[in-house]
Amino acid sequence: MLNFTIRRLVMAVPTVIIISLLIFLLLDLAPGDPTAQLPLTIPLEVRDEIRLALGLGDPVIVRYFKWLQMMLVNEPLHALEQVTGWNVAPDTQRILSWQSRSPVGDIIAQRIPQTLWVVGMGYLFGILIALPIGIISAYKQYSWFDQLGTFIAMVGFSVPVFFTGVVLILVFSVWLGWFPSMYDTTLRVTDWDSFMRQVRQMVLPVSVLALFNAAQISRFMRASMLDNLNMDYVRTARAKGLRERTVVMVHVLRNSMIPVVTVIALGVPSVFSGAIITETIFRVNGLGALLINAIYANDIPMIQTLTFIFAVLIVLFNLIADVIYGILDPRIRYD
Amino acid sequence: MRLKATLWGAAAALALVPAAAMAERERGSSGHLNIIYWQAVSTMNPFLSGGTKEMNASSIVLEPLARFDAAGELVAWLAEEIPTLDNGGVSEDLKTITWRLKEGLLWSDGTPVTAADVVFTHEYCTHPEGGCSYRDRFAGIESVVAEDDHTVVITFEDATPNPYIPFVGAGSPIIQQAQFQNCLGARAPECTDANFAPVGTGPYVVTDFRPNDVIQFEANPNYRVPTQPYFATITWAGGGDATGAARAVFQTGEMDYAWNLQLAPEVIEQMQSGGQGELLVDFGPLMERIELNFTDVSADLPDDERGTRMHPHPILTDIRVREALSRAIDRELLTEIGYGPTGRATCNFIVAPPAMASPNNDNCLVQDMDRANELLDEAGWERGPDGIRTRDGMRLELLFNTSTNAVRQDFQALIQQWWREIGVDTRLRNIDAGVFFGSDPSSPDTYVKFWADVQMYASLFEGTDPTPHLEQRRCGREPRPETQWPGQNINRYCNPEYDALWAELNREPDPERRQELVIALNDMFVQDFAHLPLVARGRVSAKSTDLGGVVMNVWDSEHWNQAEWYRITE
Amino acid sequence: MADPARATTEPLVQVRDLKMHFPVSRGLLGRKTGAIKAVDGVSFDIMPRETLGMVGESGCGKSTTGRAVLRLYDITGGSIRINGTEIGQMSQSALRKHRPTMQMVFQDPQACLNPRMTLAGLIGEPLDEHTGWSRARKLERIYELMDAVGLNRNFANRYPHEFSGGQRQRIGIARALALNPSFIVCDEPIAALDVSIQAQVVNLLEELQEKLGLTYLFISHDLSMVRHIATRVAVMYLGKVVEIAPREALYADPLHPYTQALLSSVPDPDPETAQQVRRIILKGDVPSPANPPQGCNFCTRCPAVMPVCREIEPETREVAPGRFVACHLHDASVPTSIPTGGPTPGGASTTNQQGGSS
Repeated sequence: MLNFTIRRLVMAVPTVIIISLLIFLLLDLAPGDPTAQLPLTIPLEVRDEIRLALGLGDPVIVRYFKWLQMMLVNEPLHALEQVTGWNVAPDTQRILSWQSRSPVGDIIAQRIPQTLWVVGMGYLFGILIALPIGIISAYKQYSWFDQLGTFIAMVGFSVPVFFTGVVLILVFSVWLGWFPSMYDTTLRVTDWDSFMRQVRQMVLPVSVLALFNAAQISRFMRASMLDNLNMDYVRTARAKGLRERTVVMVHVLRNSMIPVVTVIALGVPSVFSGAIITETIFRVNGLGALLINAIYANDIPMIQTLTFIFAVLIVLFNLIADVIYGILDPRIRYD
Repeated sequence: MRLKATLWGAAAALALVPAAAMAERERGSSGHLNIIYWQAVSTMNPFLSGGTKEMNASSIVLEPLARFDAAGELVAWLAEEIPTLDNGGVSEDLKTITWRLKEGLLWSDGTPVTAADVVFTHEYCTHPEGGCSYRDRFAGIESVVAEDDHTVVITFEDATPNPYIPFVGAGSPIIQQAQFQNCLGARAPECTDANFAPVGTGPYVVTDFRPNDVIQFEANPNYRVPTQPYFATITWAGGGDATGAARAVFQTGEMDYAWNLQLAPEVIEQMQSGGQGELLVDFGPLMERIELNFTDVSADLPDDERGTRMHPHPILTDIRVREALSRAIDRELLTEIGYGPTGRATCNFIVAPPAMASPNNDNCLVQDMDRANELLDEAGWERGPDGIRTRDGMRLELLFNTSTNAVRQDFQALIQQWWREIGVDTRLRNIDAGVFFGSDPSSPDTYVKFWADVQMYASLFEGTDPTPHLEQRRCGREPRPETQWPGQNINRYCNPEYDALWAELNREPDPERRQELVIALNDMFVQDFAHLPLVARGRVSAKSTDLGGVVMNVWDSEHWNQAEWYRITE
Repeated sequence: MADPARATTEPLVQVRDLKMHFPVSRGLLGRKTGAIKAVDGVSFDIMPRETLGMVGESGCGKSTTGRAVLRLYDITGGSIRINGTEIGQMSQSALRKHRPTMQMVFQDPQACLNPRMTLAGLIGEPLDEHTGWSRARKLERIYELMDAVGLNRNFANRYPHEFSGGQRQRIGIARALALNPSFIVCDEPIAALDVSIQAQVVNLLEELQEKLGLTYLFISHDLSMVRHIATRVAVMYLGKVVEIAPREALYADPLHPYTQALLSSVPDPDPETAQQVRRIILKGDVPSPANPPQGCNFCTRCPAVMPVCREIEPETREVAPGRFVACHLHDASVPTSIPTGGPTPGGASTTNQQGGSS
């Protein structure tokens, strides 16, 4: 397993490099202009100077290697310095956002807390809701509970987030006034009061995301449980005279979790990439909002860096999913 | 914790209402203000952004020598008074202007503001590698010299009848030399701390800046008016969408001020019924128009001749066709559908300031299909069997481009239908705004290249002086392949009479005569149907009902008088 | 229906009129529109230390019978007494206490072992559940069982997928034996194994029976294997037992026309005799258990069908000591010629076996 992991990690390096080249070129060659958002009062000559100042004067290959060097060396070192306080960061150029002219690494670091709080919690709660629903739905297939679960999953799946989000805001913020409709990223949790404020501002976006995630994962859990409930070894377990609880929780559930855990692991990168629509509706300025904003503004360095990080996360979590699969299922051996 | 303290402060203030009600407002007495910009602010250095949102946010920290009030009048700001010919501040030859700074001005860090800072600002923005967005404000300047600590002399290369462009208005504020002196040119982006929290003279100082997210301000302890600003702190939130921002002011009351609510008229109306907020609309020079191309953009032409004066447009060079196209449009209906109370139908090129808006062209506001048909008949365009007119075997067919935007697509569809009724076949295209308004010389789809017969967008000018805006339509200012396509004469209009009149305007220092000339130029342009004005678009913001002191201003930053905003208490 | 030959001892297993119907539901609302009568009124006894073979075509309900006897289903009707305890209608939770005495060896040893448990876990799990033994004692028992079925003790920490089919079936047997059962249902235990392994497993089962005094219900479609291991044989057709007889008698002289057809299909290893055996080829398919024919279940395919067969369902009767058959041909009250020892031409086509190789 260790060998496999190391080999996969080594294999991931060229993959990531190729991805980086593709991302860079695709974005670079795509039509669009970082000065297009500026008011038309700014003359074209000035726009040209702005573009030169943004570094667009160099040939594309030079810019790629500059970016790659900054992405793979400078930015990680800066991140390390910020986390540990060691003085390791080189005093060289960093990747600068075209919008704010500040290092993209710092902005991304600034956005991670709220992304993880809101989108991560949405994912976590989604899983916590989905697993029991999926298990019970499968165990009591075609019961009213199963039908209800199926209905909720369909709703969560098919009703778009921008609809549920706005409905929740209208009901709970406008009519009832229970929860704020806007997320305050400056809130520091220091005491019980601020903690409760944090909880209240998280309720709406987290519920929207949890419903969506739960819909997906509960169906998956249910299907996986159903597969295993009909397996012969479950009958064997019953014939052994095991308690029903043991049969379901130990034999059925543990085997059913193998694919589900894999799916959950594969979904983790999407937590980091944020939830663009939910973040926009609730004004949670997470990574999703950052990305969509950068796209609107043609802030290419920001888009490149974010997509590259997402790509790395996806490669990484694919590997993690494989490793988890190997650990959970003794039949899988990566040699 | 600060928020909590503020709350306690508010509670204490409430307890003392009988006594406090009589008290004068003073610095910080209004507590906390929440502003929402759904398009979040990226940087506090307006020179590095050029966006309106950055200009607005930085305008409460960085200030110019003079700015425009709500009526578009110049007001001395950091300057002692407005230099004029009369008070000797402007030289007789119109080549120099001498500004005197107010006495005792301090930066927010406590150091004095000097003329050297003004000189430095010029140096910073004109550095060739800096990419300063407001560089054109300093165009035509020979030198900026500090005569003494409080006096700055700007010398222009030519006689400049309107010298109130550099260091005037929110787009040309003064930055501190001490903070930015190592940030010149290519190093400008490296000064992240300075760009995010500039030291200014304005009523507020940045305490926390998160790009594209949120800014926290507190009152500037060294602000020159001791009783101001009234709000102690400001949270300037960004992000979300326009609907959410409007909702936060009108319905939930979470926000006190929301900027740029470009929403469908019915949405705004419905939200206003919540009663917690008021809509603020004022009209500036922003105008939605259709440009008619005077050059042939046929794809058969070689790329370096396509869309140039070498080949006149086969259809649109006939004024009768241009007028017919204009007559067929119902501008009032477009306005109602697209902008409601935030738009006004117009027939003018220069729609503001009010004194410069021509009263002579309102006849185009009424749709007149009969006249339009008549004009096309006169021009020799005969209806074919499919209802589309032809002349000499050529169909009356136009390609109509605009940027991707719901309102613009509605407009396109309506106009297509009206033009169809008068026998004009219109092909519609919409192009991503990033491409359409981009200036990539290799892209065929930019509004500058204008490889279409007609196109629709909105444009405006800075400040209150339309002279540069009118200059754009001079002969020779058109985008050309030789110059890699930059250029401002988008429709390639060329009229020697117009050019002569403009030259007169550019020499004329007398304000009243200038107004007449502007109106004359405007009339000449629109009566030539050189382009088709549609809607004058207002600036739309919203404030909560208990926010006082807000004076909407379309000539400067909306926050030009931020120091005077206060909380209305019963 | 007691077996007079063994009247002295009580049967270990007594099954009476066992019914296992699976509901069929259709339509939007899932209304029950019928039932698949997988087992429809089966009765038999199994004596202690005896092996009852149960044969029949696929889908005849023999496996369902096996599982129903161990109450792996909630049965539709009938009674099941095992070791004097009536378990037919007992609740699953009450039944758990009785599970140790009755166990099952399944057909597919791969599928019925939880892939995520080690061999020791698999064999030891019943011990965890039903005994309060210490770890050491349980491990001792696990090793003992592994020895008993011929598995190397070193394999205790391996997973099922690391073993061959035959080894897996040994694990299955060891697991079944863990709690010292007296009655084991072997549900086609060798069907999924290579022929070379089949004999080993059957021999192991026989050995264990000898040593531990086990009683088997041995379900198989392999007639020769049943002949080898069973004491008595029950033949099932479409959810019913059509004939029960001691092994020798049944193979020498099948009474029911279905038994005759079934036995005629067994290839004879001796080409000399094979030449003379006429194979009876049954026509048509087995009717759906959801909609069995009126009268005798076999009447649609029986070579010796009589009008009465389409009207009245034949009762099971003892036609000779220890020989039970459900067929009108053997009912004295039904006037007919009784063909014995061979099929009647007419209803079925008969063919000559062509040599040894076919």
